[in-house]
Amino acid sequence: MSSKWTSRIIIGITLTFLIGPFLIIILAGLSAGDFMTFPPDGISLKWYLKVFTVESFRASFALSMFLAVFGTIAALILGIPAAYAISRYDIPYAETIKTIVAAPIIVPGIIVGLALLRYLVVPLGFTVTLALFLAHTALVLPYAVRVVSSSLNNLRGDMEEAAVLLGCSRIGAFMRVVLPNIQSGVLAAFILGFVTSFNQVPVSLFLSGPGVRTLPIDMLSYMEMTYDPSVAALSALLAFLSVIIVFVAEKFLGFSRYV
Amino acid sequence: MFQNNREGLALALPAAVFTAILFLLPIGMLLSEAFQVDGHWSLRGYLDFASKPLNQTVFWRSLKLAGLVAMTSAVIGYACAFCIINLDGKNRGRIFGLIVLPLMISPVARTYAWIVILGRTGIVNDAIIGLGLSDTPIRILFTETAVFIGLLQLFLPLMIISLISSMENLPKDVIAASRVLGASWLQVFTKVILPLTKDGLVLGGTLVFTGSLTAYITPAILGGSKVLMLETLLYQRVNVANDFVSAGVIATILIVMSFGANILLKRIAAIRS
Repeated sequence: MSSKWTSRIIIGITLTFLIGPFLIIILAGLSAGDFMTFPPDGISLKWYLKVFTVESFRASFALSMFLAVFGTIAALILGIPAAYAISRYDIPYAETIKTIVAAPIIVPGIIVGLALLRYLVVPLGFTVTLALFLAHTALVLPYAVRVVSSSLNNLRGDMEEAAVLLGCSRIGAFMRVVLPNIQSGVLAAFILGFVTSFNQVPVSLFLSGPGVRTLPIDMLSYMEMTYDPSVAALSALLAFLSVIIVFVAEKFLGFSRYV
Repeated sequence: MFQNNREGLALALPAAVFTAILFLLPIGMLLSEAFQVDGHWSLRGYLDFASKPLNQTVFWRSLKLAGLVAMTSAVIGYACAFCIINLDGKNRGRIFGLIVLPLMISPVARTYAWIVILGRTGIVNDAIIGLGLSDTPIRILFTETAVFIGLLQLFLPLMIISLISSMENLPKDVIAASRVLGASWLQVFTKVILPLTKDGLVLGGTLVFTGSLTAYITPAILGGSKVLMLETLLYQRVNVANDFVSAGVIATILIVMSFGANILLKRIAAIRS
């Protein structure tokens, strides 16, 4: 049937456009030559191995990991109570609070970074790492609140009311009844927050200081100076990392429900 | 639902206060700085900004590219979403997964691939020279075309996802019915599919448009200083010239447009429900 073929061709072209560049970057990173070309000059793993020896990549990878893990944990510590309050209490100004917490998604990142730098970080003398940590926490917070809220909304409120009536303290009811039931939502929020923070560029652009930058920013400045295949190799490795994280998350959590 | 509102407020406030201090306060100060010249309230920052030809070029270019990317992704998005929706369950899930996947991958990695493809020694130029269409490599990188391609690849998945979710509510027999009753495919699209998937189109269009308008990475890598867009211009104004008035003006433009699009989106969602 011809319409079946038309449909396959349309999907095929779209997927080639969306995914094809990654396949090319994987191959370009395999080059044995010293410059980026495609097809690659010979095949070797040297650029994939070199990535691990570049000092600035190691330092910026460590910083990005730190920000993604601890920034997301901090966002969850702030976000879980907020999500709980929004879904279980009839609090005044609920809409205003929701809008304030959601703001970091809507405001373009570069403006956030610049404003923070000029009016908070410089006047108060924050270190670069602290500034980045606060910015990443604020950036991930809306995702944490949204994902945890949606999993709280799927959990019936009378369970914890029953626990309280049976003599459990409010905090005890939350810890023993609510938290175990929203576990997978919290984990999904962590993964989404981690990926968002790790891939983040615009917010960190102005906040990064000399010698202290996140991995994507380091890659941007590396590619301005050199044109060797190491950035291609590193990009391919990061893509693999994301694919693995998303695949595992989908398998165990049904991650796409939460995104 | 618990009745103790003070307790609820105590749980919600830390997050709200944190965001207010870290986001709203500094951003409010940045925006107000654009209205202050030499310590007085004035619109001169805006007038000066608007009078410079470079700024005008960058402003219109950003609008044009964002609009073009949104329109192109709508055309491809409809074709692609329509094909995906008609697949059987298992294949549909797989293809959908492949469309969503790039959204989780670092935008720097996603954009860098285009340097390999569009560069002087890239695949496209190899093909052009190999086919004898040109003797020397043509310049694609650092042109609007390169930025357009990069933005399209970055944001197309958002459009496809939005359209698919609105098409899922589209009853399949309405298309068959209108075909049987003699409508051409063009009529089926404009009179049946388009009105019924309007919400998805508006949502996707807004996401793609504001995403492209406020993009930094793509114009920075694929456009460089030759093809500045609003965010790369902002970065340059601050880093090269310490010009915080222009930065404030650009920030205002970006925020007004992002919030405008967001409000529009909520309005439309409200009409729907």
